[in-house]
Amino acid sequence: MRDLRAFAFGAIAIGVLAYAGMAALAVATLAAGRSLAVGLGPLVFVAVEREASAGVMTFGSGLAAVAIVGGLANVASARLIRRRAGRRSDGVE
Amino acid sequence: MIATSDCVELPSGVSLTSDRLADTVRGCSWPLNDSGSFILRRAGSPLDAVARELAEAHDLPPDVARFDVLRFIWTLNSLALVNIVPSGHRLRRLADWLGLTLRLAPTGALPTPITRRRRLDTGSMVRGVVSTLRASGFRVLAIATASTLVLLPPTMIVGGPGRVGALAVGLGVGTAIGVGLHEAGHAAMLRGVPSALVVRGRRTFLLHAPLAPARRSLVAVSGPAAAVAAGMALVLLGAAHAEPSVVVLGLPLAAHSLSLTVLGGDGRAACGI
Repeated sequence: MRDLRAFAFGAIAIGVLAYAGMAALAVATLAAGRSLAVGLGPLVFVAVEREASAGVMTFGSGLAAVAIVGGLANVASARLIRRRAGRRSDGVE
Repeated sequence: MIATSDCVELPSGVSLTSDRLADTVRGCSWPLNDSGSFILRRAGSPLDAVARELAEAHDLPPDVARFDVLRFIWTLNSLALVNIVPSGHRLRRLADWLGLTLRLAPTGALPTPITRRRRLDTGSMVRGVVSTLRASGFRVLAIATASTLVLLPPTMIVGGPGRVGALAVGLGVGTAIGVGLHEAGHAAMLRGVPSALVVRGRRTFLLHAPLAPARRSLVAVSGPAAAVAAGMALVLLGAAHAEPSVVVLGLPLAAHSLSLTVLGGDGRAACGI
């Protein structure tokens, strides 16, 4: 259950961050009147295409892959911290 | 930094009985020796006057008494159990701080920041949010100004002419709003729990009574979630209208999502660590 929580929070966190970053890049590209394609091999993060009167932004499966990697990294880090530090309760947020 | 001309006050939620210092937010109390009670009973008086009285009462050398008083107050302040009431003009204090910073520079250290604790009204969700935003208002303004100034040089490199100011202000304001929303999000879930907002150096956090594990996780998640929700709303709005400035405003808020990972204290609490 703890691992599931760590995975979910990690995936959401990295997914949100990646989406926001790519959206900023795409909007800036659109505003500049250019085209753009960001990807890694078959994984596309974002693509911006200019058409006659408007631009089109497409967010690809690369964002989902990054989110999954973020979730797994968070699980691994949580396990490592638990093993080293144990439980801590300081009542501080 | 604490000067001997400063005074101390007990923050709301901290009380002094004959021989104990009690904190209703933490739900704890600590015994005090004669000297500790002597110093805290004189809250409101300048620390140098308190040190003189302590030296006379306990037949101590003045330097030893002053060192003891300052060390005691310093320790309590770092635990958010006393607030420092600074004396003198702000500019004078800034000059003193700069002087101390320069003297410490060869050691690579900075003056230890003062802790400030403010009461929060968590009687209802709305009161919690409003009192947190009110308590952190000055802090938010300071962060917005400092972030804008810090971000100005890098945005000069990436931004085009005319956009530099807007980009830096957008990121700076977004950073500051994020801090306010983050803490307000925590406070919203602390209904009925004694809490206080604590500011120490660049850190802002909520101090609250111990909670059951499930509620602790909920409180931990609610802070980053509030900032991220607002950030994503701005990013989506900016993307829908192809408006870069709105997306830029949302980026620092969306970055609070990192607090959900084990990199942040909230994420560790949410993950049950």
